[in-house]
Amino acid sequence: MGSPKRVLVIDNGSYECRVGWNNTKEPALRFRNVLTKPRKDRKKEAIPDTTDGAPTPVAAEVPAEIQVGNDITNIEAVRAHLKSPFERNIITNWNHQEQIFDYIFTKMGFEGEQSIANPIVLTEALANPNFCRQNMSELLFECYGIPAVSYGIDALYSWEHYQNRRKKVSDALIISLGYSTTHVIPVLNGKLQLQHVRRLNVGGYHIITYLLCLMQMKYPVHLNAISISRMEKLVHEHCHIAVDYREELLKWGQMDYYEEHIMKIQLPYNPVTATNALLTAEQKLEKRRELAMRLLEIKNRREGEKLLEDEQQLFVYNKLRQLYEQDKLQKFELALAQQQIGNLDELDSLISTISNRIKRIKERPLSSPKPSKQQEKIDKMPKAPEGVSQADWLAELQSKREQLLQRKQTRQQQRQEQGKRHTHAAQERMRIISTLARSEKRRKANGEEEDDGFGMNDNDWDVYKRINRYNDDSDSDADNEQLLEFEKILSHYDVNFDDGNAVQTQSAAENYQLHFGVEDIRVPEILFQPSMIGSPEAGLAELIAFVLKLFTAQEQQRMVEHVYLTGGCAQFRGLKERLAREFLEMRPFQSKFSIYESDDHTLSAWLGACVQASQPNFGQTLTTRKDYQEHGSEYFREHRASNLFYPTPKD
Amino acid sequence: MLSSYLSSMDTKSSQKTRRSFKKPFIFAKNCVYRPMRQISNMERNQKLPVDRPTYFTLNAPPSLVPAKKYSDISGLPAPYMDPHTKLRFANAEEYASMQHMPSDIINRYLSVRGYTSAV
Repeated sequence: MGSPKRVLVIDNGSYECRVGWNNTKEPALRFRNVLTKPRKDRKKEAIPDTTDGAPTPVAAEVPAEIQVGNDITNIEAVRAHLKSPFERNIITNWNHQEQIFDYIFTKMGFEGEQSIANPIVLTEALANPNFCRQNMSELLFECYGIPAVSYGIDALYSWEHYQNRRKKVSDALIISLGYSTTHVIPVLNGKLQLQHVRRLNVGGYHIITYLLCLMQMKYPVHLNAISISRMEKLVHEHCHIAVDYREELLKWGQMDYYEEHIMKIQLPYNPVTATNALLTAEQKLEKRRELAMRLLEIKNRREGEKLLEDEQQLFVYNKLRQLYEQDKLQKFELALAQQQIGNLDELDSLISTISNRIKRIKERPLSSPKPSKQQEKIDKMPKAPEGVSQADWLAELQSKREQLLQRKQTRQQQRQEQGKRHTHAAQERMRIISTLARSEKRRKANGEEEDDGFGMNDNDWDVYKRINRYNDDSDSDADNEQLLEFEKILSHYDVNFDDGNAVQTQSAAENYQLHFGVEDIRVPEILFQPSMIGSPEAGLAELIAFVLKLFTAQEQQRMVEHVYLTGGCAQFRGLKERLAREFLEMRPFQSKFSIYESDDHTLSAWLGACVQASQPNFGQTLTTRKDYQEHGSEYFREHRASNLFYPTPKD
Repeated sequence: MLSSYLSSMDTKSSQKTRRSFKKPFIFAKNCVYRPMRQISNMERNQKLPVDRPTYFTLNAPPSLVPAKKYSDISGLPAPYMDPHTKLRFANAEEYASMQHMPSDIINRYLSVRGYTSAV
């Protein structure tokens, strides 16, 4: 073999996959661990061949290209069709995993080779079920023909990487905060205590989805603009974990704090121009005036044409008349027949009507635009009746308006009350309905129309209004009209009049803003309080306490002296401080603990795997093709960063 | 006939893109996709020793701390609950805003919190 082959290191995470050679500083390939199969292009469907009529297979059989990871140009466009091989943090869909391996090996330059000739380091879930590992080994050895593989746990690789630069530590409590799960991993004497590991099924995915839900419910109008990609960005860049959740929450409840700290996110917004709704009143007026001018022009032109026509006609008729006066009767008769005129009287009347028409038009000056209707309306605005001062009149109107408003409000309240069962209003309504029904029955039993006098009084009919659940009847319509009328008058005379529903001076763009305030701490808090998303599981702090209690007091102390945070969600600001606070609460008085963070939360697992792959004893950690053939597909070699091997019992 | 048969064969094989580094390989029929629930049942049927840690024994225990109550709308600590909609709220303004909320949003708030009505 000679020099050891370089090793391909794959950190196969449920959020992101990182691939690279073990002798490089950073992964050559990072991509979101998803794939999508775009729908077939319509054009590529079978086109009947003109020569022999059979469909040409060339055009038809081009399968839609499957896009993986970074090949997906617009992830938001295919969000609904995204596929992941993962369910939580274990791989369940092997076809998808195969596609992803194809992508990885093609990108890493294996195209053209017979098989993958390099050993592979691959991360897997903690306590990965044997069934999954079995499938993975089969895929790697049978399909890709790899020589050897080493399976490890990402959190432990990350821990290895941390120790690599510092002195070795034998005991630790690793807290790995991933995309779909959060693990609390006790390590004693350098060994993973697998039976005491606990997994909280809450992670970055839940945080992002929770934020998405909250935002969509807060802004139902912008449902489509609130996309997962945008929410991911918000979570990555702006969320943090509150050190004291309750205290920070109460701060958000205060208006001043809210005003000062609220983050406003502008959604993409294209101002709609030239629609009537957005023009100012002045612009509208201007537009209307222009339109009026144009109409007037058309009218004048038409009148001018008509005038010209009439004048010509009059000229002809006058000529005819002259013929008659000059006693050229024969010619006159002929001309009359030509013009389809009966006799002399008719001609005379025609001449007089036309000349009248011409006179009328000429008398009228070219009409100028009338004063706009707006003006008229204002002129028509009712004035205070005589003998009453304007102020008194306005005050009276104001009080009337108040009354109307109050009536409206009671109606609305009544409606709401009736909507609920067991309220007094609802019961009253049922009582009236039942009495009405009973009286009807009695009449029928009698067999004769016994008039109980219902309807004699107009107020009798109100009973139907009272049992109408949605009393949007003519009454309230009339009220509304009157209310509008009052408000118009009041606002006309009183500049300071505030009709209560004044349109807030808000630009349209501001309507496209999301307010991102309390969500900042509320969303990541689900790690500590999964009950917020309806999960019955214990929160992170409670879980840590639970795991620690599985050990003796000395072991606990040894572990809490090296609490180690890793994983993508460990990037939240404030996590370390919050955990310090929680540890202070749960540990005995004046005991010591210390929390360390990984150097690079997202990359440290990959880097740790590289460290191990470069060590001289790396060969011992490899499960080779020979092992695979001898011990079966579920077998793997244990090492410092791996799961423990428990063979599946044979029946 | 033959040509159409051949072309259908072609589609079958071209479903997986051919790559030089791959050997022909097909998973056992029922192994290609197996949801987590099935894997869990499989492991349960294996009658493993009680102390054997598996993926499914590592789940976090249920919380013993009573869940804190937060307003569904603002997230603030919520001392009140609307008996009609079952939404939690922190102050009167929130209550007022709830009165005009469409029922689908109310239901979504409830389902996000994991509330299921007893009925």
